[in-house]
Amino acid sequence: MKPSAYRYARPSSVAEAVRLLADSDGGGKVMAGGQSLGPMLNLRLAQPELVVDITGIGELASVREDKDGIVYGACVTHAAVEDNRVPDAANGFLARVAAGIAYRAVRNRGTMGGSLAHADPSADWMTTLTAVDAEMLIAGATGERRVALAEFMTAPFSVALDEAEFIVGIRIRRHSPAARFGYFKFCRKRGEFAEAMAAIVVDPAAGVSRAVIGATDSRPIVLPDISAYLPLSPERLEAAKAMVEGLGIAGEPIKDAMHANAFARALQQVKP
Amino acid sequence: MAAGEQKAGKGIGVRLPRKEDERFMRGRGSYVGDIKMPGLTDVAFLRSPLAHGRIVSVTAPDELAGRFFTAADIAASVKPIRAVSGLPGFKPSSQPALADGKVRFTGELVAMCLGRTRAEAEDAVAQVVAEIEPLPPLADFAVAEQPDAICVHEEWSDNIYLETRIEKGDRSRIDGAAIEVEREIRLSRQCMVPLEGKGTIAWWDTRLDQLVVYTSTQLPHMMRTGLAECLGLEERQVHVVAPDVGGGFGFKCVLQPEELCVAWLALTRKKPFRWIEDRREHLVAAANTREHHYRIKAFADAEGRLLGIEADVAVDVGAYSVWPFSACLESAQIASILPGPYQMPFYACRTRSVATNKPPFMPYRGVARTGVCFALELMIDAIARQAGLEPADVRLKNLVLPEQMPFTNITGKLFDSGDYPESVRRAVETIDLASFRARQREGSDDGRLLGIGFATYCEQAAHGTTVYAAWGIPMVPGFEQATARVTPDGGLELRIGVHSHGQGMETSMAQVANQVLGIDTDRINVVHGDTALTPYSTGTWGSRSMVMAGGAVSRACEIIRERALAIGAHLLQTGKDEVELVGGRIQGQGGSVGFADIAQAWYKSPETLPADVAPEGLEVTAGYKPMVDSGTFSYATHAAVVAVDPDFGSVEILDYVVVEDGGTLVNPLIVDGQIIGGVAQGIGTALYEESPYSADGQPLASTFVDYIIPGPCEVPDIRIVHMETPSPFTAHGIKGVGEGGAIAPPAAIANAVNDALRPLGAEVAMTPVTPHRLLAAIAAGRNGRQPVQS
Amino acid sequence: MSELSLTVNGEKVTVAVEPRTSLADLVRENLNLTGTHLGCEQGVCGACTILVDGVPVRSCIGNATACDGASVRTIEDFDADPLMTELRAAFNAHHALQCGFCTPGMLVMARDIVLRLGEADEQRIRIELAGNLCRCTGYSGIVKAIRWVIVARQGARGELEQRPALPLGPAGSGHAKTGTDVSGATKATASSLRPDAELAARKPAPAPLGASGKKASAVRQSFLLDAPLPVVWQRFGEVPAMVRCIPGASLVSEAADGTYDIKMRIKMGPIGAEFAGTASQRRDDAMMAGVIHGAGRDTKSATLAEGELNYRLTAEGEGTRVDIEVSYLLSGALAQFARAGIVTHFIGAITAQFAANLGRSLSPEGAVGPIEDAGELRVAGSLGVALKAWLSELFRNPFRRG
Repeated sequence: MKPSAYRYARPSSVAEAVRLLADSDGGGKVMAGGQSLGPMLNLRLAQPELVVDITGIGELASVREDKDGIVYGACVTHAAVEDNRVPDAANGFLARVAAGIAYRAVRNRGTMGGSLAHADPSADWMTTLTAVDAEMLIAGATGERRVALAEFMTAPFSVALDEAEFIVGIRIRRHSPAARFGYFKFCRKRGEFAEAMAAIVVDPAAGVSRAVIGATDSRPIVLPDISAYLPLSPERLEAAKAMVEGLGIAGEPIKDAMHANAFARALQQVKP
Repeated sequence: MAAGEQKAGKGIGVRLPRKEDERFMRGRGSYVGDIKMPGLTDVAFLRSPLAHGRIVSVTAPDELAGRFFTAADIAASVKPIRAVSGLPGFKPSSQPALADGKVRFTGELVAMCLGRTRAEAEDAVAQVVAEIEPLPPLADFAVAEQPDAICVHEEWSDNIYLETRIEKGDRSRIDGAAIEVEREIRLSRQCMVPLEGKGTIAWWDTRLDQLVVYTSTQLPHMMRTGLAECLGLEERQVHVVAPDVGGGFGFKCVLQPEELCVAWLALTRKKPFRWIEDRREHLVAAANTREHHYRIKAFADAEGRLLGIEADVAVDVGAYSVWPFSACLESAQIASILPGPYQMPFYACRTRSVATNKPPFMPYRGVARTGVCFALELMIDAIARQAGLEPADVRLKNLVLPEQMPFTNITGKLFDSGDYPESVRRAVETIDLASFRARQREGSDDGRLLGIGFATYCEQAAHGTTVYAAWGIPMVPGFEQATARVTPDGGLELRIGVHSHGQGMETSMAQVANQVLGIDTDRINVVHGDTALTPYSTGTWGSRSMVMAGGAVSRACEIIRERALAIGAHLLQTGKDEVELVGGRIQGQGGSVGFADIAQAWYKSPETLPADVAPEGLEVTAGYKPMVDSGTFSYATHAAVVAVDPDFGSVEILDYVVVEDGGTLVNPLIVDGQIIGGVAQGIGTALYEESPYSADGQPLASTFVDYIIPGPCEVPDIRIVHMETPSPFTAHGIKGVGEGGAIAPPAAIANAVNDALRPLGAEVAMTPVTPHRLLAAIAAGRNGRQPVQS
Repeated sequence: MSELSLTVNGEKVTVAVEPRTSLADLVRENLNLTGTHLGCEQGVCGACTILVDGVPVRSCIGNATACDGASVRTIEDFDADPLMTELRAAFNAHHALQCGFCTPGMLVMARDIVLRLGEADEQRIRIELAGNLCRCTGYSGIVKAIRWVIVARQGARGELEQRPALPLGPAGSGHAKTGTDVSGATKATASSLRPDAELAARKPAPAPLGASGKKASAVRQSFLLDAPLPVVWQRFGEVPAMVRCIPGASLVSEAADGTYDIKMRIKMGPIGAEFAGTASQRRDDAMMAGVIHGAGRDTKSATLAEGELNYRLTAEGEGTRVDIEVSYLLSGALAQFARAGIVTHFIGAITAQFAANLGRSLSPEGAVGPIEDAGELRVAGSLGVALKAWLSELFRNPFRRG
């Protein structure tokens, strides 16, 4: 299948992009690497009137460090993170996650911002960056605003962006050297979307002990404080599983058990 | 030959790297989609969104006039596809090229549109409105079999294409059997998924007054017959070319309505048109195979000796009977091959081929044998579990023995040769069953459950005239022909009517010729895939090409050899009895001449030829059929070791062994490739591939995200052990091997999974063994329930 | 059309393509470089893998216009490449190809693996190659061939080609001139060619949902509205007002027979559809219950939707409790995906919005809340489902006519 016809623009600045989107009367769609949008276009599931290619905006493919965090431009690719071409705010955790996203040929064009804007519940960044409490930097007609990623996704494939807004960056707090991470996903085929997924961040210096259950049918589930299960013991592991199972995320025992087991696997990676 | 020994030369038995690789590795293959013609117009189809319905209207905006066609435009000049089985009681179906009055499956063609590009053609399709009044969809054979079900074909009285019954042997032998096991066993519907989809480009050749159709097919000559029949042309007016074809696996051996549509456009408009199937079309409208449902009982004595099998089998064959194989090829085969490689005193089987609102069922690599092997081999393991025996031992107790060969089994199949039990013994030894059991008892250190599974089958291949005539298909293969021509410079051209689309026949056929004539394979060209250039053939399917076309090449070359010897002897001034063909040269007392010399004499210096030279010269078309044409029987035992993760229901294959006997192997490198590739597809059937349908008949896997085929991480290294028992009936003892790899994996893997699940009292009996199915089985086992297969 | 300049296989080329053109179609259709194959056009199979600015990308989902100015290498460009020559020899020796269709993508990816990793065992090779599907070989020969080349080159370390410093953004993007120019013609859409009302008017009156034996998915939802029962009852009777509360829905016209032509635009992330159809309702004053039927069609995706919304109102304190059950049925392209749960949740989110809109329309601060306060985690599970049904049903109504 081939996409339906659309118009194309490649603005040079964030302001131009916002203006193009605002003028498109809801028919505009932002494209970065196009690795999520491309299949949707080919299948004609997405039929935008205008595609606004934001890769011409130089600052979006850059990284900015501030006092206690790093802002990744929306157009930074998974491969750039995987290759450590950018600093890793989570002590190598981001690179590890990136290396497991889809396939290298996809990672060479797929971007952090694009993946988060696409908001597929089973995608890697949505869950893992929610775990590191990433903040979305969003440009729109009234300037830039910030939203916690945990609040950003509203429903499957749906995010809190109005029609003239788009993600310009992702800010991640710099984690302390003592921070520990757990990440587990279960996929039927390597590189494909996950059936179950969980990410854990424990950073005592920042008072963080947080888990996120992903690959649900909708938004990731945030468990803000899982310190009761750490350090792990066999009893605590069982309790952790029971707790997640009890959430009834999928409303179906087999899938709920998978979520619980994914959480348990991630938890087992968090060394004391 | 001893294992590991490398045969020298370029003849039969040599692991010769393939001649055809070069063009593919440089991106110079020529597939249908690569062909360009001036003025080429792209075709796209509107497909039915409903599984079953009555067409009220199909309309498009006026501006699409001339670019938009429906049944109203073509029905008068394109006959529907009708594949009539010769089996008594068969109800034929009519499949119109574009749906006419009714739609019978989601994805059926409703209208076609044209564009300068595919994108424009699809733009046009998006403007077409089809009003379809819904009818109750029959998305499952069990619903379609209900007495009050609506009929898919209104002129029928029910939804059964054909019902058959067979009973053989002595029913009293199952009375009071010590072991009686009963199971419901299912295989899900799936797709074949050659990486290149179907594609057709057609135009009218005014010079030859012929319709030229380049199409991605396994059987160009049959396509010519089918196209001519439906388009009302004489066959001389149709020229079919199958260029490079990106995999077939059975999907490309039936006439498709899209081919008819594109051919009709070219015929009526005398311009070039093309349609290239995209992946979505393939997954939605061609989800078409494997769907068998068995209710099966097996009876055995306390020692695990089979006393009988009783089975009731339904095949969900979808909306139409495909040409030329018909809707009943699978069920006819199931009935005749369900006893497998075993001896048993009693066998009874009832089959139904059920019409549903799903795409037509097509024969896929392994054809009925994959389903049969899955059902039968799961039963063998069930017997073993009940008897408390090693499953491998139960097989050994029941397999036909080498001293019984050739052996006629309970359904009259004539097993030609081989040592079936030896394949089991070697598999047990290679996979090291004893060590595995020790390891299994210890348990894994990661909480996964370990299991081992075996599956043994024998595979009728290269079935001949008598077999297909009995199965009632409208196209029965006879003699296969090949042409061999020594070129004026002493090279060799082979022309075969079968088609090579991955099987490496451009190499292996050359090896057969090299074996007979000694001409270097580098100097041999194999021409195939063109009705204008090659002798008639029913094409490539049924693991028949190497046996049949290989035999024909061999015969043609043998005739060339005799003529070359005669000319050579004359050139050497000696008698024909005084010369021999050695290393591609005719050798006599006083010296030798090569094929270049002989060709020079025949083509350019005929004055030097002997007076009694054969006037047919150095070009021979020879026909071939094995002396016994009931087919060769390759056989194999597959053994798998798996680890089952009870947390996620995933299955990892830790080891996979194939012990197989494919008779004389023309090119073991290629045979290994066929086996490994077949096993990979079998792993897909076993664990991943499924085309689920909603109750409304909506296909739910329309992308490679939802339809998973195994990737590099899902297919383990496959260890192959060859046994080579030449067939007593065929040239060079060759047996057919193309499909075998795909037959046993679902059975071997499911048996291994069931072995792993045994402590949990759980069992799987449906393909694919998905995480959800596996976890549901564990849950059912935990609750002491019979697993429900769905 | 947009005019692009790229370097393809070492040569500068300038081509004019529609903005929707992929890199794969650019090289195959415009440049006749047909060694790049399309196996899925869904970004999964890897047959179309080519090098863009030196790294492998999926050309089927790479927009060509976005890669204006990039350097592209297809399989045809590697005849003399030393590493590819080694790979070809290894592929041939290990029988790493059969039909050849996946081979160009495999080789491009294999070359990247060797160059990028230098050393990789068979397991690593399999992981790196996971995005390239082969239906013929079972991968064994491919993996062994790549490993063979890696081992053979180990003596020759340092000969690996210098890899350019890679950018942080998408490979191939960001070279071309930027600005506010918009290329490509405004497209004519189906709806601009034929008014929706006309489309709807030509619809037959199909059997009621379920009458055909089709199975609809059903969802239930309950919520409280901060308005008295009679007010809510009246509001439910006003189809135009109800339609206004449904996100994306709009009224086109009202027919004399009490049916309404409606339009409903659905957006789920990038997925968009516009259903045109009719709605009507029947009410039972005694029971304070009603049923709204709807049906419609998205012509662009050839998807049909039909549904029913059953509602019942009861007084609860000062306000009104609303119980709805929505059943819906999708047929066609938008229905053909396995992740049904996602659709359910999506419809749930829309339903929540509907309930909120309804509440607001009844009183400016009109409160609305789910009956079962299951907390955020489960909102999607129940509320979502119900609202989806509601929504679907509004556009599937025509099926109930008569």
